[in-house]
Amino acid sequence: MEAQPVVRLEGISKSYRLGRVRVPALADVSLDVARGDFLALAGPSGSGKTTLLNLIGCIDKPDAGRIVVDGVDVTALPLHRLAGTRAEVLGFVFQTFNLIPVLTAYENVEYPLLVRGLGRAQRREQVEHWLEQVGLTPHARQRPDQLSGGQRQRVAIARAMAGDPKLVLADEPTANLDSETAARILDLLQRLNAETRTTFVFATHDPALIARAPRCIRMRDGVLVRDVIPSVARDLDGRAARIPNLGAPPAPPGPSLTLGMTT
Amino acid sequence: MLATLAFRNIFRNRRRSAITLIVIVFGAVGLILFGGYKSRTFYALRESTIRNRLGHLQIYKRGFARAEAQKPLQFGLENAGELRHIVERDPRVSMTTAQITLMGLVSNGEKSETFLATAVEPDRDRQMAAQRITAGGDLPANESDAVILGRGLAASMHVKPGDYLTLMSTTTTGSLNAMDVRVAGIFMSGVKEYDDRAIKMPLAGAQQLLQTKKIERLIVMLRNTDDTAAVHASLARTLRDVEFKEWSELASFYHQVVLLYNGIFGFLGIVVFAIVVFSVANTIMMSVFERTREIGTLMAIGTPRGTVWRMFLLEGVFIGLLGGALGLAAGALAAVAINHANLMLPPPPGYTVGYALRVMLQTPTLVTAFLISLVTATLSSIVPALKASRLVIVDALGHI
Repeated sequence: MEAQPVVRLEGISKSYRLGRVRVPALADVSLDVARGDFLALAGPSGSGKTTLLNLIGCIDKPDAGRIVVDGVDVTALPLHRLAGTRAEVLGFVFQTFNLIPVLTAYENVEYPLLVRGLGRAQRREQVEHWLEQVGLTPHARQRPDQLSGGQRQRVAIARAMAGDPKLVLADEPTANLDSETAARILDLLQRLNAETRTTFVFATHDPALIARAPRCIRMRDGVLVRDVIPSVARDLDGRAARIPNLGAPPAPPGPSLTLGMTT
Repeated sequence: MLATLAFRNIFRNRRRSAITLIVIVFGAVGLILFGGYKSRTFYALRESTIRNRLGHLQIYKRGFARAEAQKPLQFGLENAGELRHIVERDPRVSMTTAQITLMGLVSNGEKSETFLATAVEPDRDRQMAAQRITAGGDLPANESDAVILGRGLAASMHVKPGDYLTLMSTTTTGSLNAMDVRVAGIFMSGVKEYDDRAIKMPLAGAQQLLQTKKIERLIVMLRNTDDTAAVHASLARTLRDVEFKEWSELASFYHQVVLLYNGIFGFLGIVVFAIVVFSVANTIMMSVFERTREIGTLMAIGTPRGTVWRMFLLEGVFIGLLGGALGLAAGALAAVAINHANLMLPPPPGYTVGYALRVMLQTPTLVTAFLISLVTATLSSIVPALKASRLVIVDALGHI
């Protein structure tokens, strides 16, 4: 039995103002993410998966509800006060890699460690370890514009992993990569998940990623439609028991239930 | 790392940074050249005013300044020799020279003009080199009835060196006296109004004409202008029954020039300040705009607001440092070039000769120019840096 979830969302609602209209992005979402989860948030554009990811990542605020990250209730704190939490507990991987262009691969991985205030020797150890983990040791001195897309995303993954965060959040990490490169990135992410038990949460509509995720939550119009484990055969360590605990309303009828690939 | 980031970001958009740097460099060069020209002008004007006319200190009989004298030299110094002996004991004093100014009529037998004569000790006065001899020679050392004339007065009297003139003036007892003098030379001071009236004659001749042994004032020259106030103070303790005037009390023209130039310099400083502020603020603002998503990323991965603020401020500081340093180098180079080029400027108002354009490189000017570059660049990056640190992360990440 897991102690406490890495993330707990309770009755989260969020809407955006678009001109004069308020567009709901999330409606009363509740969700637990357990330590070691490899969770894909799937759904069409506008289904609220990125919003959900931003809320978990402490870079956006809900209109209602409670968010607990690594045992700390972050709901009441202003975002700029959560910089420390983001640096200590979270790692981020972006669709467009978002490396700092003036820094080398080595320095990009080192940056979050500096923000955390680690000493020189510790930083070196961490950076070298993670660059090796993502297979980029020979490219340490190169700047992002000298690296391929796949290599850049590897640097970004090393940056997210450096300092051993509790949770890595990735928004469409494979969307800007060709399928072969994407597959290798997924291999890497799965390996890191298995070896380090770091929790990964993805917002994606990449079928390959969804297919590989032991736990996949489908979203539509700001609600969790279904929490499923596509590869039950491979992973049966009690996750199925959590399915009834979903904060989502009872599964709506019709085609929205289907597990097929979204188009 | 913060410094590394800020520094490398300057070289990211090279063209834009180059333009900003050029603006700062031009500003700094402008300040250095004008500041140097100003210093040089002040220095030259001050030293020429002192060396040629006023001396550092002038010593008069007590009461000279306030009282209107009834007769010539009523407030003259009687014991000039003793006074001079005391003053010259001070090692900071380089020389003293006695003078009398007198007015009267000068005649060539056919027409008369008023004159304004300065009676000097010829051998000592030569060291002050107040005038340029244009014909004949300077005042001879031991000839009490030789004079030199201003160019305008010589022309008006139709005389050339070797001719004779008659000077008439009132003696110290109030009677009229006249003496014949030989024109030894003709000079030019550069100030036309003065050259139209001026005579220089030996002190002995003037005392003979005025029938006195007194002098009007003792002019004190120092080795170093900066000692003026100190020497004044120490002489004031020793000497009784005299009063002093420092050169700066007498040099009204010098002070007007200083005031004018400082005003221009201040205005120029404000213009440069404004240009640099807008240029740097624009550069950093563009940089913030271009790097919005990057700022969002930095903040998402845990960079605190304050760090983002410092990073952009530091970019301004680096631009200021770089621009200031380049500006110093360029300014110094330009100054040396100008001094070598020997450019002649037209005569200033009231003068008849032009002078060479010279720029004086002084540490305060250079430091001021550098600091203005640095401070303005830093100040103008405050607002853009603040803007960067206040970005909403989610919006910034979505920024293309």
